[in-house]
Amino acid sequence: MLKNMQEKIGYLRETQLGSFIPVLLALIAIWVYFGIVEPVFLSPRNFYFLFMQSAVVGTLAVGVTLVLLMGDIDLSIATVAGVCAAIVAVLSTKMGVSAPIACLAGLGAGALLGGIMGTIIAYFRVPSFVVTLAGLLGFQGLMMKILGIHGAINVRDPFIRGLTTTTLPDSIGLILAAIGIIIFGLAIWNNRRARNAKNLDNDLLYVSIIKFIFFSTLVLTATLILNAYRGVPLTIIILLSITGFLGWLTTSTSYGRAMFAVGGNLESARRVGISIEYMRISAFALVGFMAAVGGIIGASRYASVSFNAFAGGPLLLEAIGAAVIGGTSLFGGRGSVWNAILGALVIGSLGNGLDLAGARAADKLMFSGAILLIAVTLDAVTRGAASRK
Amino acid sequence: MNNNNINPLKNTSSEQTNPIHFSAQGIMKKFGGIDALNDVNFELRRGEVMGLVGDNGAGKSTLMKAISGAQLCDSGAFFIDGEEVKINSPHDASRKGIQIVYQDLALCENLDVTANLFLGNEIRYLDNLKIIPRALRPLNHLSMEEQTKAALRKLKVHTITSMRTKIGFLSGGQRQSIAIARATKSDSTIVLLDEPTAALGVSQTKEVLQLVKRLRETNHAVVLISHNLNNIFEVCDRITVMRQGENIGVFDTKDTTPDQVVSSITRGE
Ligand SMILES: Nc1ncnc2c1ncn2[C@@H]1O[C@H](COP(=O)(O)OP(=O)(O)OP(=O)(O)O)[C@@H](O)[C@H]1O
Ligand SMILES: [Mg+2]
Repeated sequence: MLKNMQEKIGYLRETQLGSFIPVLLALIAIWVYFGIVEPVFLSPRNFYFLFMQSAVVGTLAVGVTLVLLMGDIDLSIATVAGVCAAIVAVLSTKMGVSAPIACLAGLGAGALLGGIMGTIIAYFRVPSFVVTLAGLLGFQGLMMKILGIHGAINVRDPFIRGLTTTTLPDSIGLILAAIGIIIFGLAIWNNRRARNAKNLDNDLLYVSIIKFIFFSTLVLTATLILNAYRGVPLTIIILLSITGFLGWLTTSTSYGRAMFAVGGNLESARRVGISIEYMRISAFALVGFMAAVGGIIGASRYASVSFNAFAGGPLLLEAIGAAVIGGTSLFGGRGSVWNAILGALVIGSLGNGLDLAGARAADKLMFSGAILLIAVTLDAVTRGAASRK
Repeated sequence: MNNNNINPLKNTSSEQTNPIHFSAQGIMKKFGGIDALNDVNFELRRGEVMGLVGDNGAGKSTLMKAISGAQLCDSGAFFIDGEEVKINSPHDASRKGIQIVYQDLALCENLDVTANLFLGNEIRYLDNLKIIPRALRPLNHLSMEEQTKAALRKLKVHTITSMRTKIGFLSGGQRQSIAIARATKSDSTIVLLDEPTAALGVSQTKEVLQLVKRLRETNHAVVLISHNLNNIFEVCDRITVMRQGENIGVFDTKDTTPDQVVSSITRGE
């Protein structure tokens, strides 16, 4: 009986829509609950801040999803983000390097740090858990060194600040939303036609229609709500573009296939000629890059880079938690970068809502812990469902 | 089944017309002090199923790994159509048309049927645009799915309806069919099957044996390893017996009884 149910849940989670729905329901439940308890929660202004608060966690969660897919983990993302943010801050405020170039240097540093850890994991066969844990500690030290004795640097550069303070004019936001919806609709429509033409089995028509309605409502509502306050933030556009690229990379290229194969059955991947070493190094470099993006967004948002914001806080656990809440498996081989963003919104909404409700830090931690526990348990329970058959 | 009227025909035709397609000569492989393979000779014809039997540890899997390039042997030579070929990696082997289906299948349960069939060998758009790295060229999902359907249809596998089903949800027999389809989809001429029915029930075993017969009809040279002599006698044209790393002898299925093979396996007669 229990097994049967596990199998059903497992089967649901394997389908594209099925992996999306649990986290979306969780998000809606949280929104409805806080909407009733604290009506301010649903105000456009609060939504705006909710999105912005979730941006850093979301960026890191999207990044860490890449290695989770391969059955690895990166515990150093938050500190790599901190190191990169510190590099950007020092270069731009103390050494007079122009901000865009400082940002590029930060992004490069992130990819480099990730690549180095990936190389050690790939060639010396040290578990990623251990290597990135060492990275977590070492990079905390590195960050302290870069930041100097005060442990914080203020960032006032208009370019860097602009990354999170700029919002798009209402009309541009709406136009982008419309373009997104049209592209999504055309993609579904084209795919259906092509599948029919080649006589391949198709999704039921109503499933496609529901998908489309769902997507358009989501995009349109979000845009309208954000427009009602300040407009769609540039940060969100950056994050969505990167996630779009990574989503395409993981689902529609040989590279992405290889990621899933490595996470699903390492030996099988090796036998078909996939280079495990190349995959590990490049994936960890990508995570490092995403960590740097998160670091820069963080520096921009807080207008400063401090040790506590990255290394001391719960950023790491929130990011990995967001990925897992989004339905990405800690055991490898299953997950999606898009879901990581939803997971980040779940964590962000919970924190934001509890703040509004006047909850203390202790309660917030316990709530987040409970949600994470539920997500991980669901992951473990449904993991074997497919293979048990 | 219908092999009653196909088998004798095929048998005679393969004996009379099909020359030796593949041969391995003087293959040696030591693991520490153990002679896993000791001066083994082995040959295959197209359109013929060769049974490979022997006790546990006789060296059957080791021989298959040597032929498929998965594990190099210490010495010996391989010939295809009379010409010597070097097999130093799985890649070499598959380029020469040799495909192996492992005892443990080597499928990714988290990927669907199509993805598994094309894993490591995907069909992509822009494949003539050399500036874009191969790993970043977009996948041609539909083309792969279409070819997967065709490959399964060719093997008359009808129980898998959607090519988008994850392998984890398929039965053992269905998985075996997909592993075999993967091995035969390219222009392979030699297919090595290492205990494909070991974990299967009666009806699924039957399905797989049907598949093996179909490979003979498509003019492949097939090797079937099994501990079940009933299965071996049902589908094989000839049987090679191995014992303690040596090739004891080759039997013609129609002139042999299972008892003779058993005593050869156990006593080396
Ligand atoms: N990688 C290895 N390292 C050491 N010894 C090995 C290795 N692979 C095989 N052997 C040894 O070589 C011998 C032949 O093994 P092999 O797997 O080829 O037997 P087999 O005929 O396939 O047996 P089974 O029917 O049990 O699958 C055995 O004694 C085995 O222990
Ligand atoms: Mg064996």
